[in-house]
Amino acid sequence: MDLTYTAEEEQFRQELRTWLAENIPTEWTVPGYWATLSDEESFEKRREWEARKTAAGFSGIQWPVEYGGRGGTPGMKAIYDEETVRAHAPQTVNVLGLTFLAPTIMAIGTEEQKAEIIGPMLRNEVIWCQGFSEPGAGSDLAAVATRGVLDGDEYVVNGQKIWTTNAMHGDKIFTIVRTEAGSEKHKGLSMLLIDMNQPGVEARPLKQMSGASEFGEVFLTDARVPAKDCLGEIGQGWRTAMLLLSFERGASGVGQYTEFRRQYDEIVAEAKRFGRADDPVARQELARCLVELECLRYHAMHILTQVEQGKDLGSESSMTKLQWSEAFQDLWEAFEHVLGPEATLSAPRPDVDLSPFHAQDHWSRSVTIWGGSSQVQRNIVAERVLGLPR
Amino acid sequence: MFFALTDEQQAFASTVTEFLAERFDLEAVRGVVEDPAGDGHPLTLWKGLADQGALAVLVPEEHDGLGLGLVDAQVVARALGAGVAPGPWLATVLAAEAVRIAGSAEQQSRWLPALAAGETVGTVALRGEGGAWDGSGITVDATSAEGESTSRLNGSASPVDYPAVAGLIVVAATDASGTPGLYLVEAGASGLTVRDQHTYDGTARVGAVEFADTPAEALPNGDAAAVRALLARGAVLNAADLVGVAREALTRTVAYDRDRNQFGVPVGSFQALKHALADLHVAVTMAEHAVLFAAHALDTDDPGVEIAVAVAGSKASDAAWNATGAMIQFFGGIGFTWEHEAHFFYKRARRRAPLFGSAAEHREALAALTM
Repeated sequence: MDLTYTAEEEQFRQELRTWLAENIPTEWTVPGYWATLSDEESFEKRREWEARKTAAGFSGIQWPVEYGGRGGTPGMKAIYDEETVRAHAPQTVNVLGLTFLAPTIMAIGTEEQKAEIIGPMLRNEVIWCQGFSEPGAGSDLAAVATRGVLDGDEYVVNGQKIWTTNAMHGDKIFTIVRTEAGSEKHKGLSMLLIDMNQPGVEARPLKQMSGASEFGEVFLTDARVPAKDCLGEIGQGWRTAMLLLSFERGASGVGQYTEFRRQYDEIVAEAKRFGRADDPVARQELARCLVELECLRYHAMHILTQVEQGKDLGSESSMTKLQWSEAFQDLWEAFEHVLGPEATLSAPRPDVDLSPFHAQDHWSRSVTIWGGSSQVQRNIVAERVLGLPR
Repeated sequence: MFFALTDEQQAFASTVTEFLAERFDLEAVRGVVEDPAGDGHPLTLWKGLADQGALAVLVPEEHDGLGLGLVDAQVVARALGAGVAPGPWLATVLAAEAVRIAGSAEQQSRWLPALAAGETVGTVALRGEGGAWDGSGITVDATSAEGESTSRLNGSASPVDYPAVAGLIVVAATDASGTPGLYLVEAGASGLTVRDQHTYDGTARVGAVEFADTPAEALPNGDAAAVRALLARGAVLNAADLVGVAREALTRTVAYDRDRNQFGVPVGSFQALKHALADLHVAVTMAEHAVLFAAHALDTDDPGVEIAVAVAGSKASDAAWNATGAMIQFFGGIGFTWEHEAHFFYKRARRRAPLFGSAAEHREALAALTM
């Protein structure tokens, strides 16, 4: 066991910490600050800040230098995740592009795609959306019905995508489209990279139970996309999608732990304020949450070790998803249980605003659904890790 | 970053696991379970463990030990838990830890080589009936007459692992000022009574130990901090045993449910079982991580060591409790029978879960540390 980072990695931490200290306005560290802004204001502020961060060399931490990345280690990425949360840095506006699309392009993209897509994405000049889910294709992703028909050297695409994060801000969308008429399930699909700034693409916001509109619907009506803007081979869209989704792993658990642990402390502070911190049942429930959060931290160290050793995580990422999403949701259930009626009030006292808590609380209901629901993840763990029969 | 066992540690684990598979399998365990009047301390097993260095792990090299840490010791504890192996391994290791942490040079020279070699069985008596596992639950008093190096103990401790075969008992006792300390009592000392308490866990022997003016030798550095250090080590190694029990119970259950057919298909193909087993796999894996981290935290005096120990203690208890309950449920009727081995795992998990602090006690400790 050696839970330390290398000297070079710790040097990186210091540089990043210094930059963050100088570039995060104090008001951003106030809980609930971002919720006081409109979606539009929040997005533009974050977009601009992140572009500056990229210019300072603190984006694409593990990406090769040739793509504008830092060429760093998995340990540096873990440190980045931890320090940005600790400094109250805002979340990236290009999360789906940076997390999924970029590494997939680096792996299987054409030279043209590599040159044209990655740089502008990293600088937030182009915001990417993900167009996978449809009204009839949620957990059963292979049921996508959006069609693409070849017309000269372009595909004409018709269909509807849903639960699209940043739909209202997106410039481009990577989509799974059925490009072989009459094909079924995993066959005949292609991953097309569609320009959203065209008449055939209409995005509409979807209001979430929290009241925010972080995602939306995307309607494709005779949308046109050059046939060369296909990632991977035509007809191999399922394989491309699986490769793409495999990038949802790595050291991110460290950042999540840091964020959730801070929320635990904030909930404890409210429990004290409202005289609930001495109740033995409340203490048991909160401590139960802490146990799961600490386990998430250890698990992140385990995963980082596996990554550093070059091991394929495979289906283990399903376990990571289950652990963080269930622990996070349980934490916010504890908030409701422990505070009781006060938990349901935005202004239980004139000087107390619990609305930022409600935003997290309600958001926590989504995390066990998106990115593969807990039920899908349990199937994966049971079948691919434990080897139980399908 | 290296959050994993080294090749040497993995090899050590394999050695113990293979030894148990070859020399002390579940049939041998059954022999101990079905002989409740026996001492529960088979010498073939004990000598084998001693030969592998399993008793010497934490003993410094100058006292004929291996001089390793708790990360190495938890490897052994997990293997013994997985094999539901009987015997006073944990008791002896903790007795040696007490002498190592708090004993004088003389006491260490006298006891550590014998404990490391398995020539002397040790045990620890750190808590009395109904008491807590934080040093406040001690029900033994220590007095020492002016000018005498020997103390006298009065009171009782329970439950104590393997007191009947122990040559050395490390006793936590409070002095006249109420300060806790650690004392050595040798087998056969006057006023020492050992009563078998007949645990339902047939893979162990547990008794109450009573002291009536029993002569004892104080460990000079055995203060309240030493008692807490010993309890923390006990909590982590006990958690490691529980994690071993949990993993083995889950592995056996999954293997059975892959093959057991009902309604024309393996029962493991039903989501009702799949999802429960997947959740258990996540929980047991997290408990394994937690034990590893807590052992490392103790080895390195990590500033967060108290949180780490409490997390490991509560998570491992819960994981073993749930995995062994599920074992009986998902084996169906056969898992409820005496002839099946499920009850070895189930009873061992339930006996060990409350030792060195129950899951709820560890959670209260976490609340106290963070609220």
